[in-house]
Amino acid sequence: MKEFKHIIKDKNGLHARPAGMLASVARTFESEIRVEAKGKEADGKRLLSLMSLGAKCGTELHFKIEGNDEDVAVKALIEHCDTKLNGE
Amino acid sequence: MSNISKKQTLLATCSGEVVKLEDVCDEVFSSGILGKGFAIIPSGNDFFSPVSGTITNAYDTGHAYMITSKDGLEVLVHIGIDTVELDGEFFSPVVKTNMSVSQGDKLGYADTSNILSRGYDPITPIVITNPEKIENLKITYGKVKALDVIMEYTLK
Repeated sequence: MKEFKHIIKDKNGLHARPAGMLASVARTFESEIRVEAKGKEADGKRLLSLMSLGAKCGTELHFKIEGNDEDVAVKALIEHCDTKLNGE
Repeated sequence: MSNISKKQTLLATCSGEVVKLEDVCDEVFSSGILGKGFAIIPSGNDFFSPVSGTITNAYDTGHAYMITSKDGLEVLVHIGIDTVELDGEFFSPVVKTNMSVSQGDKLGYADTSNILSRGYDPITPIVITNPEKIENLKITYGKVKALDVIMEYTLK
């Protein structure tokens, strides 16, 4: 299993657009992708699940990736978080 | 489930004009990465649940609602584009997270003319975020009144 943490810097938090983009990246991988925040856990491939975390600016997301393509998946997700979840 | 082959419906969330999701000026919606659906250019201010089910998440800001329907569809109702930035101004949500709703129950109120005058597009995408569950989608485009049937589908 691979893990990493990311603190949301987008002032609007993980709302529809960033959550949707994150889910669409996650869905390209076979591995199971779980995202924990504020004591809740979401399926990283499902928009509604991610949005129900209620993650806001400053919330830490804890990604857990497990499966055959976890090495590629973790790289892609870290890059996605750094470029797309940081607001302007 | 007993009604697997039965036609299911989604109702118009608000009065207005139903347009294609592809016509929404936001590529996250128009590209279809969030799922399948349609959008309504609202002509009124009252917004209703398109399905019966449970409110999976109602944002405090009142601009977005996620509803899990009784038949397992995950439906996102997103009032306006980038309206998260209004931080709740012009929105009055009626429902809260975890509440049960019936098709046609009021979700909330949005002052669409003020949203527009503040420079935000009030177009409201209604997206099925797990479209793999359904087939035979039929969407009726054009002018609608709130609670008209807009979409028919069957479960796979």
